[in-house]
Amino acid sequence: MNRLISLLLWPAIAIIGAFSFAALALGRGESVNAVWLVTAALSVYLIAYRFYSKFIAEKVLRVDPTRPTPAVRHNDGLDYVPTNKWVLYGHHFAAIAGAGPLVGPVLAAQMGFLPGTLWILAGVVTAGAVQDFIVLFVSVRRDGKSLGEMIKMELGPIPGSLALVGVLAIMIIILAVLALVVVKALTGSPWGLFTIFATIPIALLMGCYMRFIRPGRVGEASAFGVVLLLVSIFLGRVVAEDPAWAPMFTLSGTQLAWALIIYGAIAASLPVWLMLAPRDYLSTFLKIGTIVALAIGIYYVAPKLAMPATTRFLDGTGPVFSGKLFPFLFITIACGAVSGFHSLISSGTTPKMVENESHMRLIGFGGMLAESFVAVMALTAACVLDPGIYFAMNAPAAIIGTTAANAAQVISGWGFTITPDMITQTAKDIGETSILSRAGGAPTLAVGMAQILGQALGGKAMEAFWYHFAILFEALFILTAVDAGTRVGRFMIQDMLGHVYKPLGNTEYLPANLLGTALCVGLWGYFLYQGVVDPLGGINTLWQLFGVGNQMLAGIALLLCTSVLVKMKRERYVWVTLVPTAWLLITTLTAGVQKIFDPDPKIGFLSLARKFSDAAAQGSVLAPAKSIAEMQRVAFNNYLDAVVCAFFVLLVVAMCVFAVKICLQALKQANPTAHEIPPLAGAQGSMA
Amino acid sequence: MNAAAESDASVGLRERVRYLCAACRQVFGMPDYERYLTHAAQRHPGAPVLTRSDFFVQAIERKYGKGGARCC
Repeated sequence: MNRLISLLLWPAIAIIGAFSFAALALGRGESVNAVWLVTAALSVYLIAYRFYSKFIAEKVLRVDPTRPTPAVRHNDGLDYVPTNKWVLYGHHFAAIAGAGPLVGPVLAAQMGFLPGTLWILAGVVTAGAVQDFIVLFVSVRRDGKSLGEMIKMELGPIPGSLALVGVLAIMIIILAVLALVVVKALTGSPWGLFTIFATIPIALLMGCYMRFIRPGRVGEASAFGVVLLLVSIFLGRVVAEDPAWAPMFTLSGTQLAWALIIYGAIAASLPVWLMLAPRDYLSTFLKIGTIVALAIGIYYVAPKLAMPATTRFLDGTGPVFSGKLFPFLFITIACGAVSGFHSLISSGTTPKMVENESHMRLIGFGGMLAESFVAVMALTAACVLDPGIYFAMNAPAAIIGTTAANAAQVISGWGFTITPDMITQTAKDIGETSILSRAGGAPTLAVGMAQILGQALGGKAMEAFWYHFAILFEALFILTAVDAGTRVGRFMIQDMLGHVYKPLGNTEYLPANLLGTALCVGLWGYFLYQGVVDPLGGINTLWQLFGVGNQMLAGIALLLCTSVLVKMKRERYVWVTLVPTAWLLITTLTAGVQKIFDPDPKIGFLSLARKFSDAAAQGSVLAPAKSIAEMQRVAFNNYLDAVVCAFFVLLVVAMCVFAVKICLQALKQANPTAHEIPPLAGAQGSMA
Repeated sequence: MNAAAESDASVGLRERVRYLCAACRQVFGMPDYERYLTHAAQRHPGAPVLTRSDFFVQAIERKYGKGGARCC
């Protein structure tokens, strides 16, 4: 009976998927319904999960359900706990899902909905989900060791240390770009800033409740926290309309940048139970709720995709980011297709909780498919918007100017007809004074979500509420990431400083802690400030730097997976990781080299730096800079970006050399040489 | 339905609700205190156990103390 159902079910899913793709691909000239896009994605996920992940589990990895996992061997009731697979799936998903899949696809929408969709789907099936799954497998077979430790074990100590430095660099860039997204969303928005500010006292209240009144009652605390948040959104409107209060919450970009830098330094020094933990619970609560609501909203409202399948900006002249489809689409959409950062989660707490090896397929592969679905929905929300509005929100002021009239004229000139009235009306609908040049994904997604959720619930009158809800939802987990990331960065910096001067590595030593925190905040704060004052927009530079770094980390994780497969003597199936590794290396190395050396100043850091420093030397001021000092700053920052980019490129090339050497050695061996924990080791349980 | 069966059913229901709440908490990354107690009673009978509030204080400290990798 089951066999019969399966025999009918899978062809049916395949046909639905094919039909949806046909609707997407053939619907030229008229707008396509977003439901087709979402359905096509879901069919791909189901089929990939049913067939490809099963193939990887059974043939490539030979997952062994009888082999005790770290959770079973070290069961201590605390960290190593065998956990129900659906619970762990939820936990893993909550840990990997962040702001990334909400930003990249929105930026990539400038090329139309089709390129982004195809890369998200192809990328997740062949690279992203494979990476998450295999890293989880490799870590479970090594007692839940972290990525850095595993690289050290399997590739050697030098690659291990190199990988750690790389992770720190990527972390700094990530924190800067996430903070920049918040700045772009909240500049001159008293309503938004008030609601975000309100999360601080709410989190403190929750923290005290969970510590002193009802220990560990996450659900209760989060439930009343969410209610308070919703109240704060309504209050935010009152504040924004009040002539006395509104100016206090109306900050400029640079003021916000400083506020975030100070916030980051303080938040990362507070006890974790007071603010970090409660805010993380709140953001998890909202994250899961909002994603489910958005999925239901898309099916219920069934909006049309206003963005064409492809736009003229495939040629690399787009206003949101410069550069051709290849390679820049593949680094702009990182999370959602493949994200190197997930390799840190898949080798973090998740492997310590896996009850049975057979569950890893659902958790690793399935978890990434869910993240990818979030990316598809973000892309959908951006493409539901009128393209004119989309470009008004995402193009930098240097291109479209600072008035609605000017922006409408420029954007209509690109072939996306829009009137100044439409721009001001959209701003009014969402309760803001301006929507121009709010790059960074969050506001665009929020307008798209507001239109979708507004049509489902509350109509036009509720659009402003939904907009600020969406901004809050994104800012909330970005601030959690800033707080947690600063702590992680501090520990990594202290670890490194400890090699230079021992006392600096002592995490119990307050001056060393303060130094570590200051260095970490100073580093990401510098890039953030640079992004805020950059007249060319900031996001377009920083996001690509992040994309290169994140995809490089994915490349490194996949190089580890490839080496482990070879060392396990499964070289027959090595293409499973080798193909995505090769693709990531090709796209990121091409993008990295172009970002550094391209002669077009819109793309290459060096040529832009040279253009500005040469002009500054001759005493002429190039727009959009306003003074010689600003010119010199643009030049310096671009040299710095080139150095960071070059570091990523050299790092991945070095890792590649190490991995090839290890693989060649392993190929000569007759027996497996991977460092796995033997199947029977400590099956009786060693106790903590 | 007699009284004993009725109380069995309500115990079963209560147990299920508790399990559901614990499962939700674990999705948020908060370990289950009752399971820790069961585990401690089985593996280390007689040894001192953490109180509920100490258990959660330590759980939060372990999860977030080093920052805990947050995804982009």
